[in-house]
Amino acid sequence: MTGTADYFRDLEVPRFARLAPNLTAACFPLMKLMPARFMVDRAEASGLLGRGGHIVETTSGTFGLAIAMLAAARRYELTLITASSLIDLKLTRRLESLGARVAAIDDPKGDGNQPGRLERLHAILKGNPGTYWPRQYDSPENRLAYARLADMVVRAFGQIDCVVGCVGTGGSLCGTGKFLRQLFPHLRLVAVDTHRSILFGQPVGRRTLRGLGNSVLPQNVRHEMIDEVHWVGALPAFAMAHCLLREHGIFMGPTSGAAALVGGWVARQRPQMATLVIMPDEGHRHSDTVYNDDWLNRLEGWPTSLPSGPTDVERILPAAETDWTRFAWRRRTLKAVLADLGRDDCEPPDLKS
Amino acid sequence: MTSNRSHPTYGQQAGASAPSNSALQVGTGRASAHHGELLQGVFEGEDGRLHRGLITLPYAALQAVATFWPRAQPGIRARPDSCTKASRAAQLTLQHLGLSGRGGDLTIESTIPVGHGYGSSTADVIATIRAVAASAGTTLQASSVARLAVAAEGASDAIAYGEWALLFAHCEGVVLEHFGKEFPPLAIIGFRGARDRPVETLSFPRARYDADEIEAFRVMRGLACRAVRQQDPRLLGRVATLSACINQRRLCKPEFETVLSISREQGAFGIQVAHSGTLIGLMLDAEVATNADRVAAIGRSLARAGFGDIASFTLGSGARQP
Repeated sequence: MTGTADYFRDLEVPRFARLAPNLTAACFPLMKLMPARFMVDRAEASGLLGRGGHIVETTSGTFGLAIAMLAAARRYELTLITASSLIDLKLTRRLESLGARVAAIDDPKGDGNQPGRLERLHAILKGNPGTYWPRQYDSPENRLAYARLADMVVRAFGQIDCVVGCVGTGGSLCGTGKFLRQLFPHLRLVAVDTHRSILFGQPVGRRTLRGLGNSVLPQNVRHEMIDEVHWVGALPAFAMAHCLLREHGIFMGPTSGAAALVGGWVARQRPQMATLVIMPDEGHRHSDTVYNDDWLNRLEGWPTSLPSGPTDVERILPAAETDWTRFAWRRRTLKAVLADLGRDDCEPPDLKS
Repeated sequence: MTSNRSHPTYGQQAGASAPSNSALQVGTGRASAHHGELLQGVFEGEDGRLHRGLITLPYAALQAVATFWPRAQPGIRARPDSCTKASRAAQLTLQHLGLSGRGGDLTIESTIPVGHGYGSSTADVIATIRAVAASAGTTLQASSVARLAVAAEGASDAIAYGEWALLFAHCEGVVLEHFGKEFPPLAIIGFRGARDRPVETLSFPRARYDADEIEAFRVMRGLACRAVRQQDPRLLGRVATLSACINQRRLCKPEFETVLSISREQGAFGIQVAHSGTLIGLMLDAEVATNADRVAAIGRSLARAGFGDIASFTLGSGARQP
């Protein structure tokens, strides 16, 4: 692309919203365009992805949408592998209208069945040599892409002391954090996860809050960079998403609600720190669920009042979807944290490509 | 002084052709040294491609002065005769002004030491371009001076732009980004290692950067922009220190760890270096420069550690027009 108007480049630019005097939110229309465009550009430049080539990826959400938009505009074939419990009809239709093939793998346990999805993906790679797999979970390019966000943030606000963000692949939080911490070594990184995601040592299980957390461990999650971890249940996340819309006119998805909840608390705890919270996507996809009272009223525990703060925990255990817990991670590796807790027997399996 | 007539040509535009019998008079031009860079790396241009670029740290106390005596005959005679790049710059400037048939005598007097990263040769070249332009009664735009300088010596620095704060593509002679006019107010205490030898700039291999570094440069450029717009020297200190650290993997300054610890002890907020030279500078609040005791104390601490050529100067006290 030359210096002419590039819609994709603009679509990956967040709007900044001041939520409190020391708290700014980066509100993305579709954040995953940032890594998707970075990876596709580099694959084109290196020759990994040739004209009219085939792209395959495992995704249950917005990375799939981002790569489908790029694949359609640049005339690539695309196969997306997802799980039946994670993909809704609306997203499937939108992906298919972009020309993507969507393969939904059975998911009886409701945990995303990432191992089953990877098995299918490897079968496709084996049968179709020359297929390009971006590997958003493990490719360092996912993290590198977020230098663009760090650039926009320092141009707009200068020094940043703390970044709060959801972790799914680890790309946005660990990528943005890496580049900001090079310039501001004291920078705190606060990870937002959800109960029954294995990323920070919980046992895997059915999760109601989607779009963050994982049932496998991506290499882009750099545990040793993280200062503290919050596990936010679905209900407080949904309630905070509603609060963002009512109080600021910010219409974002439920993971942004979780991030804003944690960001608000962190900013109140340390009023002298300039804090950034990353909000990855808009609320439109969730109009039938998170923004639908009929759907919400079927949830146990709804309606709920916004909790004022997390419960500090010493052990890493799953909690109810109404709960919000916090653990002082202190820039340790996952192995070190589990060993300190006497749990070196249950280290989650490492995902190797 | 063979064709010095009483009617100079006025306001001649860059690239405009002048009649070969136009009046030329004796012309003088000046250019400053620099004290290495605040940032050097590769940066994305508006064309989406990567360009080598740098933010030059101007050092106005050291200067080169060029004087051009025109002759009607072609050919440049330069003194000292080692100034081949300056001769080429004079030739290119005459061509640019549409005066290819003309020549002259060029002398350069400079207080800038050679080979330590002060940009002595670029200052010679830029002073020469300005002297030749003055001889034709014109002043060239900084962008034209910068392009001529790159054409004359292969690569340049941003001294054509005086003390303006910008990111300059030094191999192409174009500005990648104007940050705003003035650098933030800032004091530098400059020095170099006692054992350092001069570096032959042109024989120095071009740095190759990995993807992590290239993306880090993107963010450093963003913070430099913020530092200039907000006139915040401390943010510029963060940029310069990280650039110096990245450069340690290319041209290693042996006493860098000592410099880091002196910087901490003396309350400096950054370290800047000549990325292809031996100069190092501690970055401090501008008021430090007016405090003679403080400057002397820092100087003593540097001298004890074995550093030489210690000098202090300020930046941003007023953007000098090029």
